[in-house]
Amino acid sequence: MKMREPKKHYDVLVVGGGIAGQETALNLANLGYKVALVEKDYSIGGKMILLSKVFPTLDCAACITTPKVSETARHPNIDVFTYSEVEGIYKQEKGFRFTLRQKPRYVTEDCTGCQLCEQVCPVVVEDEYQYGLVGRKAIFIPHSIANPRIAAIDIEHCTFCGLCENVCPPKCIDFTQQERVDQVYATAVVLATGYKLFDPTIIRRYGYGKYKNVVTAMQMERQLVPTRPFNNILRPGDGKVPDNIAYVLCTGSRDVTVGNPICSQVCCMYSTKQAQLLMGALPMADVTLYYINIRAFGKGFCEFYQQARAMGVGYVKGKVGRIWEKGNGNLVLRYEDIETGEVAEAEHDLVVLSIGILPNKDYQKLFKNVKVDQDPYSYVKQIDELTSPARTSVDGVFVAGTASGPMDIPDTILSAGAASSETASYLCKVYKEIQPSLS
Amino acid sequence: MKIGVYICHCGSNIADHVDIEKVRETIGQQKDVFLVKDVMFACSDSSQKEMVEDIQSQGLDAIVVASCSPKLHLPTFREVARRAGLNPYKYIQVNIREQCSWAHSNDHKGATDKAIKLIEAGIEKAKRSEALEPIKIDAINAVAVVGAGIAGLRAAIELADMGTDVYLIEREYFIGGRITQWDELFTTNQTGREIITKLYHQLISYKNITLFTGAEIVETSGSVGNMEIKVRIKPRYVKPDCVFDMDKFEKAIEVCPVEVEDEFNFGLTKRKAIYKNYPGEFPEVPAIDHDHCTRCGECLKVCEGIDLEQKEEFINLNVGAILLATGFDPYEPKEGEYGYGQVPNVITLQQFKRLIELCPDELVYAGRKIHNIAYIYCVGSRQQNGPNRYCSRYCCTAAMHTALLVKQKYGDIRNFHFTRGIRTYGKQEHIYHEALEQGDVVFQSFNDPLCEVGEHNGTAVVKINDFLTRGKPMELEADLVVLITGMVPRKNNTIAQLLKVPVGRDHFFNEVHLKLRPVETVIDGVFISGASQGPKNIMESVNSALAAASKANNLVKKGFISIEPTIAFVDADKCQWCDKCAQVCPFDAFEQVDYNGKQVARVITSLCKGCGMCLPVCPEDALQLHNYTDRQIEAMIEDLAKAK
Repeated sequence: MKMREPKKHYDVLVVGGGIAGQETALNLANLGYKVALVEKDYSIGGKMILLSKVFPTLDCAACITTPKVSETARHPNIDVFTYSEVEGIYKQEKGFRFTLRQKPRYVTEDCTGCQLCEQVCPVVVEDEYQYGLVGRKAIFIPHSIANPRIAAIDIEHCTFCGLCENVCPPKCIDFTQQERVDQVYATAVVLATGYKLFDPTIIRRYGYGKYKNVVTAMQMERQLVPTRPFNNILRPGDGKVPDNIAYVLCTGSRDVTVGNPICSQVCCMYSTKQAQLLMGALPMADVTLYYINIRAFGKGFCEFYQQARAMGVGYVKGKVGRIWEKGNGNLVLRYEDIETGEVAEAEHDLVVLSIGILPNKDYQKLFKNVKVDQDPYSYVKQIDELTSPARTSVDGVFVAGTASGPMDIPDTILSAGAASSETASYLCKVYKEIQPSLS
Repeated sequence: MKIGVYICHCGSNIADHVDIEKVRETIGQQKDVFLVKDVMFACSDSSQKEMVEDIQSQGLDAIVVASCSPKLHLPTFREVARRAGLNPYKYIQVNIREQCSWAHSNDHKGATDKAIKLIEAGIEKAKRSEALEPIKIDAINAVAVVGAGIAGLRAAIELADMGTDVYLIEREYFIGGRITQWDELFTTNQTGREIITKLYHQLISYKNITLFTGAEIVETSGSVGNMEIKVRIKPRYVKPDCVFDMDKFEKAIEVCPVEVEDEFNFGLTKRKAIYKNYPGEFPEVPAIDHDHCTRCGECLKVCEGIDLEQKEEFINLNVGAILLATGFDPYEPKEGEYGYGQVPNVITLQQFKRLIELCPDELVYAGRKIHNIAYIYCVGSRQQNGPNRYCSRYCCTAAMHTALLVKQKYGDIRNFHFTRGIRTYGKQEHIYHEALEQGDVVFQSFNDPLCEVGEHNGTAVVKINDFLTRGKPMELEADLVVLITGMVPRKNNTIAQLLKVPVGRDHFFNEVHLKLRPVETVIDGVFISGASQGPKNIMESVNSALAAASKANNLVKKGFISIEPTIAFVDADKCQWCDKCAQVCPFDAFEQVDYNGKQVARVITSLCKGCGMCLPVCPEDALQLHNYTDRQIEAMIEDLAKAK
């Protein structure tokens, strides 16, 4: 396909197309600046577009993300590059030079998203957008609300059988696609590189990966979205509808033994939200949260937590030490019950690990001749945290959203707002120096 | 006429309970329906693209999308129409999600029938829709920022940087707000004053920022784009053009015979009627407190810069938008709440912060050297029986951080925390860790009240049934009890009342949408930031202030604002000017004008929001709303009522 030809020069390069990157790009584009938004994934929307409903208002995440996603994709001042990477950002006297690498999807932009190719493709691999709950084909549309909604070929797994080529109505499959590499300039850079999820296989005591009925909260999230794979809540081990679900909070957070001593700021609330949604989806099920402290600190959060308690969600103060499986696939949790002071055991038929968030350290490799300082936890360091929260150690580089630390969606939007305004001010100053007539 | 109808599945949100296939078939038989399609997500980019193509290639005259509430996607599909070259007001949205599938999830047939009915009515409306153009009004590229605390200062500087004129209006005589009362701050250990000093110097270097202190907005009129505000400025009793000589002012403070309680130090100290809150405060010029000054004239003898004849002034300003950064009040415990005001040595965290600063070497309160300190958390927050159900968010970290500081500063201190569960979220967790490592003791309880504060031989005694040790009763003799008081909304918030800013259940200002529009209010051109919207720490307040600054700048900087044309209009021939419409209009959008020798009502376009309140009260039926005309509504009703 003809990949998008980037402009030679942008006012701002935004790295990352999640909600922080989109919000920043939109704010700046609305102020008239030209923005290049680079996303390494096939679709923009980040992790939020994959969520079910979001606390504390229980808005449908897809419904509030898709308008922003399409506004971003269509904005005349924003050029979106998906499945693309930024490399070698070189700070110059004024602005930055960087390499933009657009990788081939082997499907051209003529794709209508009809999914006929998916039906004929014989290769099935684990679907990363459903967090491994189901399979996908080697040619696939990432998820139903992906943007752009264009198929991509996972070339690692493709067997080049050519079946997709034969059925594709607009003939948009092109195995000859090459990557496109451009040298591009931008006056300012915004890092909106987001976070990574904690991998719970590290905590072997919890048996994730070994016991099928131990899942992560992100897997539960995918089961709760409107386009859920099973159209119901099922435990993966045997497809049984669970009726006694446990949440293990602080899995990978506030835990020095896994190298993450800090709190992830969102898990208490997303677990409380999932518990409420589960009570709606499975009215007969019991849901119990095992926690250290419930951190319901934001606007409307405490009320939301009280509402969950009133609905009958169980909250047990105590850290889970170990989980093991019984013959019927049920799981036994051994935990310290703070209320009684005893070590206790409880049986559940599905265990959800409320995994924490970790820094995405990719930003450290982006720059060539300058270094963006990191904080003690490897997030982007905010060098003037209290009065200019979006500033980094490099003049002209700003940070938005969870790239600077764990935060929830409302805080991310505010942080992106701050990044937009600090970037806009920076641009005003730089352009005033270059061309006084412009101001 | 060619009408295109799109029926959205909304994933499973609609399709689970509405028989989309049946709806599509039935609607397809309607007269004037040129094409009908069903789509998985009408809002997705690919569906939008399809609609644009259909409109252009088929030459559609109007489109109807049956999906969710127009609150969510009306702008999305209007934009689709616009891109395709169709007037956006030739687009009609029908809500078959909230009104059909969600409301009747137990009755699929009913939900399906209702969806068909509603879409048919929507088609009738579409047939009679008018092409409208947005109304453009002029916008002044100036913003009034109310409150010169950390949020207001940062918003002002940022707006000025982005090229907007700023009027920064502070009620107090000095700027800086609450953070000047705090010495070292988490998580950077900068002091509040250091920050304010830096920001003040930055602030005064801008030509496009005008700062008013001792000033309050007393009247507002106009609407977004052009708001007129009247500001009352209290006299400072200092000649504005005097040669500023601090020594003489110091002398004046010295000779002033009036002593009053110093609210800056929460009553821990006294100040004079001519005062500064602390040395190096901004603006540098002291002020005379009108309410307490006896006009004795002592100060005049030593300082010629003082002018006791000054009167209050009023000035009018025109701005395009208003950004509120009015902050919070610390919760004031009730008499007897955890011993406050009854048991000796019970103070609030705010007072404690002042006390630490006033005690350079050893921590002494009421003549007593302090060793054991009890911190009682969630005072005025997370109330089980009071009105404040919310968490104040900053206090756990602030309390832990203070406990670290006192131990560092005075050494011989033992800290005991009485909590409801510590909420040092995110990276602030390390402060909690450090406190535990230095040997602080943490108790916890879910009871209400959390613990009891009594007195034994002149010493405060705190009792708790500690959840962490199986509910064991614990007792502590404390030299000082610090109540960790939360944030409450500002008491005297005149500007909020003038602008009718909506508040939430927690009584803080309410945003339009916590995630989509967190710094905007339902009043166009009024933005909210910082702790006025809900409890926040400093970084969070600044984030929200900067976000509000970028939204406000974006609104006013172009010089014009487009507003919705779906507003009321008057049939001047029918109107008899009875004044009824003007009386019910919540936006004062009616004026009386002369028309062919008679008095009639006229709609002020920039003020009308199209709410429709005026329509039913008009006895002459002279009022209508664009795109909700009688013709349209009657056709819809007729269609809904017609027998099948």
